Amino acid sequence: MKKIVYFVLPVLGTLLLNAGCQNKEVDPGATLKNDLLKKTTGPAVVGDRIEFAYAIGTLDGDLKDVRAEASITGGKGTGFSGFSWYTDRSTGVDKPVQTAADTVTNGAVSTATIIDVSKNKAVTLRYYYYPSEEGKGKDVSFRFSGTSSTGKEVAIQSPAYRISRMSMKRSLVLTDGAKAYVSLADMAVYSKAEVEQNNLASKIDFVYIYRPTLGSGNFAFGHALVAPSNADYLKDVSLPAGLPKTRTAIDKRVDVKDAQLRNTAGFDVYIDDVDLEQTTFPSAADYAYGLAVDQGAFVKTADGTYVAYVYVNAVNNTTKSMTISIKQIKLK
Amino acid sequence: MKPKRFPLFLGLMALIGLLSCGKEPVDEAGLLITGRSQCYMTFFDLLGSDHRTVLVSGQTVIDTTALTVTAVAKFGTNMERVKPYCSVVTDAIVEPTMGIWTDYTQAQKYTVVSGNRQVRKTYTVTVTVQK
Repeated sequence: MKKIVYFVLPVLGTLLLNAGCQNKEVDPGATLKNDLLKKTTGPAVVGDRIEFAYAIGTLDGDLKDVRAEASITGGKGTGFSGFSWYTDRSTGVDKPVQTAADTVTNGAVSTATIIDVSKNKAVTLRYYYYPSEEGKGKDVSFRFSGTSSTGKEVAIQSPAYRISRMSMKRSLVLTDGAKAYVSLADMAVYSKAEVEQNNLASKIDFVYIYRPTLGSGNFAFGHALVAPSNADYLKDVSLPAGLPKTRTAIDKRVDVKDAQLRNTAGFDVYIDDVDLEQTTFPSAADYAYGLAVDQGAFVKTADGTYVAYVYVNAVNNTTKSMTISIKQIKLK
Repeated sequence: MKPKRFPLFLGLMALIGLLSCGKEPVDEAGLLITGRSQCYMTFFDLLGSDHRTVLVSGQTVIDTTALTVTAVAKFGTNMERVKPYCSVVTDAIVEPTMGIWTDYTQAQKYTVVSGNRQVRKTYTVTVTVQK
């Protein structure tokens, strides 16, 4: 009797476990299936895209077309890519192969038609969504679907994703003595003449300067962001007329390599809304100097309206220039 | 060993074990109070907002007799927001706690307290900026 119990109990347990773990939504007999993967890990920021991989396959007939409907209409560039990707076995490099055509986006709906249906019984297409200004701070979700030549349809609903309230601007080139005046409100760089002609003086939050050395001891200084309040570092700069001496809080960082501002693969560090909203500036300086590539600074405007992270993409000592990218959020 | 003596042996071992678990004294922060009376600072550093040292290498002097630390910060350092760190002799502690953002435009005082908490030495830390 004992032997029977020892034998029966594990079998019964395994059966119960399997029964409990079964996903009731999966139909193993379905001949048309789909699945979805969100490839982008960073925040959904206007100016960057979210990438999805939508997989669909059929055992009955051929794949016909796919469709994606966003709950908020995306910006320019939103839609399916006609390419699937595979990894080259000899090189390990991902290579594209065209599996769809007629990739069209009308409003919130994007469609694509599967080509070469005889060999493309299962494909994974990329869908790119570009968050738009109207979507800032809202949740967006997607319904992906596909049909086969037998008239069957399959669909999958994505979770909701929050679109960031941040604004982003990449690759702004600052030049010492020329395009050196940065406005966080405008996310733009101006020259002295532009500031004066367009009455932008009140919008300027910091000035870019490059001095190899500074001070009586010729100490290293380099590329710097300086608030108009700092007379020491701007004493040899001819500032635009009417530039108020506002004290922008500038807090240098050397270890915040934001992947979106960096705009290169291989990094997965992101500044999100909460980072800018919760960054505090106790006793922050009104300058950051010695800036190099991959470094940056958290910046808060003198009136506290905007907080931003200014990331340094490139510096050039010869041309006395620096390329920056900015993520900014409006607090008030 | 005879079988009857074995339980007695086990009991004796347990008693020794219990006696050896005497409660060590700890301070309010839960740090062990030991018998060491040495009391001095061995190293001092100051970090900027970017969590990198702002001190000029080779310029930091710790005088354990005069109880002073003098150091030179790099040109342009924002002395209103720096974070101090130090090392002290084994088991000693520092009051107030270092490692928090501090205004170093004025000299700061830190007290090193020995491991036995009987000896206290207050250091004055002065950092000047390259001009």
